[in-house]
Amino acid sequence: MELIYKIFIEPFQYEFMQRAMLASVIVGITCGLVGTFIMLRRLSLIGDALAHAVLPGVIIGFIIAGKGQLAMFIGAVFSGLVTSLLIGFVSRNSKIKEDTAIGVVFTGFFALGVLMVSQLKHVHIDLSSYLFGDILGVSSDDLVLSGLIAILVFVTVIIFYRQLLVTSFDPTMAAVMGLSTGLVHYLLMGLLSMTIVASLQSVGVILVVAMLITPAATAYLLTDRLHKMLIYSVMIGIFTATVGLFFSYHFNFASGASMVIFGMLIFLFTLIFSPTQGILSRYIKKRKIAEKNLAQDALKNLFKNCIDHHQLKIIREVIDISDLKNLLGSRGKKFKKALANLKKEDLISIEGDQIRITEKGKSFALRLIRSHRLWETYLNHETNMNLDIIHSSAEELEHLLTDELLDEIDLELGFPKFDPHGSPIPQKN
Amino acid sequence: MNNNFAIEVNNLTVSYSKKPALKGIDLKIPHGKIVGIIGPNGAGKSTLIKGMLGLIPLDSGEIKVFGKSLKENFPRISYIPQRESFDWDFPVVVQDVVMMGRYPHLKLFQKISDEDKAKVKAALQKVDMLEYAERQIRLLSGGQQQRIFIARALAQESDILFLDEPFVGIDAATETTIFAIMRKLKSEGKTILVVHHDLGRVTDYFDLVILINQRLIAYGKTSEKFNRDNLIKTYGGRLTILDKTEQLRSQTIN
Repeated sequence: MELIYKIFIEPFQYEFMQRAMLASVIVGITCGLVGTFIMLRRLSLIGDALAHAVLPGVIIGFIIAGKGQLAMFIGAVFSGLVTSLLIGFVSRNSKIKEDTAIGVVFTGFFALGVLMVSQLKHVHIDLSSYLFGDILGVSSDDLVLSGLIAILVFVTVIIFYRQLLVTSFDPTMAAVMGLSTGLVHYLLMGLLSMTIVASLQSVGVILVVAMLITPAATAYLLTDRLHKMLIYSVMIGIFTATVGLFFSYHFNFASGASMVIFGMLIFLFTLIFSPTQGILSRYIKKRKIAEKNLAQDALKNLFKNCIDHHQLKIIREVIDISDLKNLLGSRGKKFKKALANLKKEDLISIEGDQIRITEKGKSFALRLIRSHRLWETYLNHETNMNLDIIHSSAEELEHLLTDELLDEIDLELGFPKFDPHGSPIPQKN
Repeated sequence: MNNNFAIEVNNLTVSYSKKPALKGIDLKIPHGKIVGIIGPNGAGKSTLIKGMLGLIPLDSGEIKVFGKSLKENFPRISYIPQRESFDWDFPVVVQDVVMMGRYPHLKLFQKISDEDKAKVKAALQKVDMLEYAERQIRLLSGGQQQRIFIARALAQESDILFLDEPFVGIDAATETTIFAIMRKLKSEGKTILVVHHDLGRVTDYFDLVILINQRLIAYGKTSEKFNRDNLIKTYGGRLTILDKTEQLRSQTIN
């Protein structure tokens, strides 16, 4: 208990930590929302570019209006929009591709900003906190500005959800329905510039792109619906930013770096363990299919040994387990599992060390053989592949072909009675 | 205004970086027909569609839809692009895509109504895809993907459909299914324009053909205009090779 208190509660006796906490939540929300669209529209590079390119705007804001939040805000949004317009202009009006245009324009703007910082001594801007973020130094004014930006982003995304969705997924349809894709793009660029401003103090210019992209990419691995992706992305963004903050506080890490590393860890974890699209679950699914195939192969072999090949008539009802093991080439554990699977499906019954095929098992095995032989016949009919290749392809596909597909093949071939090897094809039912 | 035609195209000219892609195209397309746009690669088939839809800047020309400007007809037109132009991993399920068909009818703050949902459901039913409503679009076959975009046009209740190469990468059985849907739409009075590059089934599919190769070679009833002379004019020397490959193809299929 005391440890929990020390880690999570105690820090909040300091006002700067309360402000930092709020700032983290705001970063999570704005970056999570805007980042989702940036990622889906493949604008990650633009996200990074704009983060750098707002620097001259921020400084010009300072020069004109002095150190005020509003000046910084207007300067940044202006700078961001000019940059994205210029990138669009260069790539549209020359053979230069967009990524190259981004590279040229944003570095130029950023360099201009650095030049201004170095020349204008009376403009007091802490370049290092601008670059890397210093969330523990967030002021109340910063918070008010970021909070307003978060509300604006949130409301805009809700109002223009449909426009953002259709222009991201199918820009041509958007154009056909009279929606200006350009306008929506620059609306998003405006939101992006504001998001960058809202995140500057917390994560800094260099790493803000990670807060935009990483939570969105993580959410992308977890769902197939856009509105859910937005919600997940925001939740992951908030989680990432706040946990990053605690690390930053307790271990004195740079706040931006701490958040980004934690975000990447969550991403990697999701990449491996995502229930639908994770590497692990895909591996398990693959193994399950392999197991199922082995079980079906065992059944087919079992069946083949119990029937007369040319009449498809049962001559034996039972077979020794050891015989089947030899037939399949003993595979130890896998073999046992295959038998267990077959038993569970009620396709076989095991009596001592003998296996008996059930009625259900018989019709299933016949279906497999039908599938195998029909596919062989079809391939033989359609292509000039040699019979060996045809056989191995049929070994694989016999497990996959659906009943409708089999009927279709049967119909197309004119209900053949024999396969290319001369073995009879079991008829339907 | 003459309102007898679904689409009227007057003197349409489009060029890409000074090279003319389409020159002086005039077309009057009546209601309730299935129209094939035929021509070799680079003939400007897609350009013609995009020009008609106002998706690309025109050098000259005027497009009228139901006797009015394009702008006044946005919700009545839908366009089904080539399948490869999509990001199939996009986080949308089938019903999300079909719901987009309702978007042109919705105002900015207007919520999706039960009526919209019912129309989406009906559209999915019509193309026999209702059971896939919750499925992510990557998990569909090519023919199913094509069908949900047709369902989107149905949900939109548009009167004119543009399809760009709908049969590419689709097996013959699915092609027949899709064509049956198109024929049904036609019987409901819809006008359907299809960019098509397979000469094999043109006479079965289309009431009217537009033969183009940068300029309009022939336009009219398929039975009258789809003949050897016009094809040679459209394809030039390339027809012989096309003939041969077509033969090869039909040999392997049958």
